[in-house]
Amino acid sequence: MKHKKQITMMLNGKQISADIEPRRHLVDFLREDLGLKGPHLGCEQGACGACTVRVNGQIVRGCLYLAVQADGATIETVEGLTEQGVLSDLQEAFLRHNALQCGFCTSGMLLAAAELIEHQPKSNREQIRQWISGNYCRCTGYHSIVNAIMEVLEARADGRKVKPVTAA
Amino acid sequence: MKAAAFDYVKAKNLVEAIALLSEHGEDARLIAGGQTLLATLNLRLSEPSILIDITAVSELKGISVQGNMLRIGALVTHTEIEGSDLIAQHAPLLTEAAPHIAHRAIRNLGTWGGSLAYGDPAAEWPACSLALDAIMVIQGPGGIRKVSANDFFIDLYTTTLQADEILVASEIPLASSNQSHSFQELARRHGDYAAVGLAAVIRKEKGKVQTCRLAFFSVAAIPTMATKAQAFLEGKSIDAALIQQAVKLAREEIETLADITNSQETKTHLLGVLLERALTKMMP
Amino acid sequence: MELNGEQFIAAPVSKVWLGLNDVTVLHASIPGCEEIERISEEEVRAKVMFKIGPVRARFSGRLVLSDIVPNASCSMAFEGSGGAAGFAKGKAKVELIGAEGGSLVRYSTEASIGGKLGQIGGRLISASAKKIADDFFLAFAKELGGDLNIVSDAKLEDKLE
Repeated sequence: MKHKKQITMMLNGKQISADIEPRRHLVDFLREDLGLKGPHLGCEQGACGACTVRVNGQIVRGCLYLAVQADGATIETVEGLTEQGVLSDLQEAFLRHNALQCGFCTSGMLLAAAELIEHQPKSNREQIRQWISGNYCRCTGYHSIVNAIMEVLEARADGRKVKPVTAA
Repeated sequence: MKAAAFDYVKAKNLVEAIALLSEHGEDARLIAGGQTLLATLNLRLSEPSILIDITAVSELKGISVQGNMLRIGALVTHTEIEGSDLIAQHAPLLTEAAPHIAHRAIRNLGTWGGSLAYGDPAAEWPACSLALDAIMVIQGPGGIRKVSANDFFIDLYTTTLQADEILVASEIPLASSNQSHSFQELARRHGDYAAVGLAAVIRKEKGKVQTCRLAFFSVAAIPTMATKAQAFLEGKSIDAALIQQAVKLAREEIETLADITNSQETKTHLLGVLLERALTKMMP
Repeated sequence: MELNGEQFIAAPVSKVWLGLNDVTVLHASIPGCEEIERISEEEVRAKVMFKIGPVRARFSGRLVLSDIVPNASCSMAFEGSGGAAGFAKGKAKVELIGAEGGSLVRYSTEASIGGKLGQIGGRLISASAKKIADDFFLAFAKELGGDLNIVSDAKLEDKLE
């Protein structure tokens, strides 16, 4: 029996504490212990990107990050970021372009796209594809996802707002 | 799959990290970025009884210029290298190579030191460290020692790091004004393990090659320099005919090792293709 | 996966043969060997810890000899289980030939690795096998008190199933 650790973190804007086994991944902790089902489990090897979450402002693989490592860190999932509204133009664009079907990859895709928009806002389609190559989608064939991200990049460059899919 | 149970301790400084490593020996694994280690543990291909987290060890952090060398701490992440102005200025080969490493989420956590210490034959940093003539700074219970990159990678997944030592940093000579570089990598999909790769650095004097370092990766068990092709190019002006001769020499001298994606013959062919591209880029 | 090679050892054939059948010598030669036990004239059981890169996998296995021609050749069948990491199975043919100043050990091996190690490690299984073989012969030659001279490097063939 390995010793549990006490950890404290800022999660989606709230401070939480827990006693956890060191081997527990961040994504399992979020999903199983806290009921945050936004990030998903795909491969558990870091290849598929379904488990992507944000730690200290950067995307990471939730399956390649231990909950104990999150002690003192700031964690954000798609749920928290949606509440803050920081993903709204991406989410609108995804809906407009049918960039999701089953939705399994979507949480990870949105977080990866958000980091692209922040760090490489001048990306072209090829660069978008390279960036999201770490997020597998089995449904859409990626084209619509690239379209959605492209629309957001162009809108932001123009200072425009992305049109909502449904009337307010 | 879930990892087997283990204990976890976070070292506060380098001395403590080394002491913990000595204390637990084979039962312990060091964790920095964890991008290779945690995948290994998830698959239960390793079942250590304790992880020693070194991410708080300040002696392993930071990018700085010290005299005429660029110092890259072992804990510097791939993303930090990708975005560093100091590196863009003093070791631009690394800036060009960084986006080829896996994917952004991996790069945000994965470290310079981790990549070097594992010495995966398909990894980018080992070959880059060879091309840049880097020096590895290592610390263990016996103190600090420095090893040239030329002597650091000895066999498949085997470096000169002893079980009780930690890689602290690398020191890289600052790029000179007459230095040019090229980084080439072929992979089936962006972010995949390289099929073949090349990190090349050339210094010229009056249009002629002064020094030439051509480090291939994913061709053999360790990153491999084309020493005969290098010697051939020294003292000469690069032109199309010379490139063809250098390519032929490199293909002859490097003993390629097949892997699951490519045969020996394909690797031999591709390394020549990459060398041609790199030399063509560095011709002017 | 096939691994074929030839290793020169500066020791007479009879000494090499004895060494290959001596569990004490094998214990010291097999990289990562933790335990080794002779069950019968033909069978040996061993526990070996494989350390390749990030992988640390402990294999429990057995080796069964057949077609034994003393001081000349034998066939062996081996199988090992690495627990959650996977399993390995294979066979090998070993021949000893007298040469000037020593003996030539000629081996040809066919092995398959299954489970996680096979799926993930497949990328470098051949290179790993070659390293293990090289490390084995280096240690084996030291045990016999002789020096190692590589005549020809092990030749590898990856067969994709």
